[in-house]
Amino acid sequence: MRIFNPTFGLSATSAEKVSLKPVNWQTDAIALMSNSKPNARELLEGIRGKLSAHRQVENIKFMAKNSASQPAPKELIQDIAKNYRAAILALGD
Amino acid sequence: MTDIADKEVIDLDDMDVEAFNEFATEQGWSDGMPLFVPTEAKVAKFVETVRGDNRPYAPVPPRQIIPTVQALAANAVMAGCKAEYFPVVTAALRGVLDPEYNLHGTLATTHSCAPMVMVSGPIRKELNINCGTNCFGQGWQANATIGRALGLMLLNVAGAKPGEMDRSTQGNPAKFTFCFGENEEENPWTPYHVQRGFAPTDSVVTVMSGEGPHNLNDHGSTTGDGLLTTFGAGMANPGANTVYGKGPMFVVIGPEHAATLKRDGFTLDSIRQELWRRSRIHLSRLSKENLKTYETTGHKPDGDWLTIGRSPDDIHITVAGGPGKHSAFIPSFGGTTVSCTRIAR
Repeated sequence: MRIFNPTFGLSATSAEKVSLKPVNWQTDAIALMSNSKPNARELLEGIRGKLSAHRQVENIKFMAKNSASQPAPKELIQDIAKNYRAAILALGD
Repeated sequence: MTDIADKEVIDLDDMDVEAFNEFATEQGWSDGMPLFVPTEAKVAKFVETVRGDNRPYAPVPPRQIIPTVQALAANAVMAGCKAEYFPVVTAALRGVLDPEYNLHGTLATTHSCAPMVMVSGPIRKELNINCGTNCFGQGWQANATIGRALGLMLLNVAGAKPGEMDRSTQGNPAKFTFCFGENEEENPWTPYHVQRGFAPTDSVVTVMSGEGPHNLNDHGSTTGDGLLTTFGAGMANPGANTVYGKGPMFVVIGPEHAATLKRDGFTLDSIRQELWRRSRIHLSRLSKENLKTYETTGHKPDGDWLTIGRSPDDIHITVAGGPGKHSAFIPSFGGTTVSCTRIAR
């Protein structure tokens, strides 16, 4: 008996690899990104507080989606990619 | 060695139905109920029903796979569909692939939402889709298997495995199947698909990521005004996602309630306006913490009241069901839309 695979499909993602420069966690700008659910901001504030013991934190900024249930707007993602070297995401709930 | 996921056709030798079901369960293909076997011959029969519909499918999130028609048909076969149901199922899939539907969010959320599938137009009768008594319930092959087929596609093509990508806290029985037909014959207003700009002769599938139906029981009211008081109070639910005020909802009016509302002069527009006003939630029914969250996310109260949805237009109205004094409220996930797709025939 031969069957069709119900999970089969063609991959839509590109195989192209992007080379990234290593992040310097001591000095680089970091985005602290909240998914806008309760407690995400608190988690990120905790992280920023702990980082402050090791580095200056003026270039570590809080960011948030405008809706917890929808994807982050492209403009926001582009802004983070343009202005920050790393992003830490918090999935609160 | 090729992984099973990479193969379009799998040779199972002389496996019987019972052994196939064990195999399919091991592969993670099952919703927990027995499956029909998607043999090459059966799949070919289903694929034949959508010949001529050559529009490509968008990548299906979260897995971002572009499905083959054969893979989609395999899911419809496994669900127990008849071949002639397949164009309805593929139309439903196209609906949930509308970017505004937010398929990734609705599949990955902790919310209990499931894809509501409503069928309008002549195909309801051709396929014996139940629009009347017990339309949300059991007993009709088309309703049961069309909704199930879409659910299996979301499991197997989209990758929404419960506990992995599907993170729903409690789930919802509607995730097994949630498909019904409009009762156009007893709708005293305009059928839903015509409200959305389709011709009455078009057959259309409407999808929304919704909770299961919440019953709106009113045996006592004898006027349209009385019924809308009950409906509005039933919709004013601080525990439904609509309280965030960011998405659509359906009110599915039973034929007897619809007749009373029509007799008393209510139109679809005036019902929407009245329900918008009467479904507001008094601030005394909200916790202080929640109210603070809603305010900081842009959903501010109007005086002492919080509206559900963004405007009266978020209230979508149709008629379905049989005799009796019941209607239903179906709140949505919130960050989603109501998407309509004409069935290719």
